[in-house]
Amino acid sequence: MNAILVNNISKHFNLSKGKKHKNLNSVSNFSSGVVRAVENVSFSVKKGEIFGFLGPNGAGKTTTIRMMTGVLKPTTGSIEIFGEDIWKKPILVKQITGNVPEEANVYIELTGWQNLILMGEIYGVPKEEREFRAESLLKKFELYEKRDLKSRKYSKGMKQRLLLCLALMSNPKILFLDEPTSGLDVQSSRIIKQLIKEYNKLGTTIFLTTHDMDVANELCHRIAIINKGKIIRLDTPEKLKLLTQEYQAIDCVFTDKIDTEEIERFKSVTEVQEIKGGVHVIVKDVHKALIDIIEFSKSHNYEFKQINTHQPTLEDAFLKIIERGAEN
Amino acid sequence: MLKIKNNDEIAGVAKMSTQLKRSFILAKKDLRIYYNKPPVIIQGLIFPIILFVAFTIGRQIQAYQLVSGLMAMVLFLTTTSISPIIFPWETMRKTMERLITCPISLKTLLLGSIWSSFIYGLIFSIIPLILGLTFLSLEITFSFLIIIIGMMIAALVFASVSLILSVPPYDTPGSTMVLTLLIKFPLLFISPLFIPISSLPISVISPLTYIIDIINFGLGQESAFGDYGLLLDFTVLIMIGFGCLFLAFALHNKTLEKRFRG
Repeated sequence: MNAILVNNISKHFNLSKGKKHKNLNSVSNFSSGVVRAVENVSFSVKKGEIFGFLGPNGAGKTTTIRMMTGVLKPTTGSIEIFGEDIWKKPILVKQITGNVPEEANVYIELTGWQNLILMGEIYGVPKEEREFRAESLLKKFELYEKRDLKSRKYSKGMKQRLLLCLALMSNPKILFLDEPTSGLDVQSSRIIKQLIKEYNKLGTTIFLTTHDMDVANELCHRIAIINKGKIIRLDTPEKLKLLTQEYQAIDCVFTDKIDTEEIERFKSVTEVQEIKGGVHVIVKDVHKALIDIIEFSKSHNYEFKQINTHQPTLEDAFLKIIERGAEN
Repeated sequence: MLKIKNNDEIAGVAKMSTQLKRSFILAKKDLRIYYNKPPVIIQGLIFPIILFVAFTIGRQIQAYQLVSGLMAMVLFLTTTSISPIIFPWETMRKTMERLITCPISLKTLLLGSIWSSFIYGLIFSIIPLILGLTFLSLEITFSFLIIIIGMMIAALVFASVSLILSVPPYDTPGSTMVLTLLIKFPLLFISPLFIPISSLPISVISPLTYIIDIINFGLGQESAFGDYGLLLDFTVLIMIGFGCLFLAFALHNKTLEKRFRG
């Protein structure tokens, strides 16, 4: 079952005279004062899935998530959340979704506890239930000790954790997270990632935008890569990584200087680069190349000091896909 | 695991009564957060004191004019002080987007702003009435109720006027303050504050004139608009109120998106 169905959405902004769009350089099309921030984007997110939206700055990630959360109205297309059109029944849809916008803030004049109670009231959570939820969320996100502190005194990481608590106060079926770990300290980032996984296991569908490859790789079941307002790839992280086989490599450091020419002749090897004390070997097939290099070292009595294999990362895949997109 | 709401409960959130209740929650939040913000203190409390001194010093003013003028001015300035800063303040502090994604309509959001302005204005405008009754030996000869009803309606009207002042999608409260002063001061200057209404014919275009007339009436004076003056006062105020309210709904609907662009 689809939790989210995005059908051919576009968002165009009309710019007034003399005004500049912050991300003008990266949008796909700018003519006659119209910025095409998102163009004909379609995808679906399955119930219980963690779906990542990956792209460089200004690619259209935030504009897309804003259309999906009822902040910006699409110029064309439609968005359904659990079968309901967000722009036809916005209040119903918003009741079952939680949202952490990218640049959002909590009410710094209120304490952490007051912020949560306010959110519970807005979502119509009954008094006893909202106090129970506020307490359990603050404990989970390691903020309970600071619950009576005005949130202006919270660190950025604490504020971000509180924002996530606010989004979870209504026990949403879908969570929208725009760059949830951007610029956070290691502890906050770890807590947030851990709890995203935990809530997903409990059945919450999660849609997140990020430019952090580790977050996307660690959390997402599927990833859409967006650039210049268009989706250019949509697949699992593993399959995306397979697109960049050329990033497979083996680093070998030997006790003695070796002859690299022989390694270059192996069929399993694409390229050999000399590094300090050894070689960086770009390979077509890691398994075969490893056997070849080990045989080579045995036959020449070379002694390994160190050997490491490198698999392509999501970052490699992302850069390659963006690069190909630019070439096209 | 936390309970998931059933569908009937979710379906009820769009009901008018639920949205009205949520507008009161927003009003409580607005009052708690914005009552002591510098622009609210300056426009809502300091300006009325300064203007009162400027208008009254060295002039022969009757006691009832002093009370009605001061009440109307305080009501107007305090009621219109809080609402215009909420939107730019929330845009600037990045809390607006979070609020927009909550299950509340734009009308609910605006109503919340109206209730907070209404309560804030009413509390402070009662003070001159109490002072007048205590120190100026004023007697309420006709009806205290008329004054209270008039004040409540006027507070709602001024709150609706102030919603229009918050339409431009600024993210700096200072910009909104300048704009509101450009509109509020001329309105004050064409209003019959501390003078007979008949001596300032242009004052018929100011909503303040009608609440001043209502308060004067409540304090035992004749209405400046004749036998049916009171009816006229209430009718004009209600018409201005509804007009501003619907205009504010329409204009905010148009400008809201601009607060979240690039």
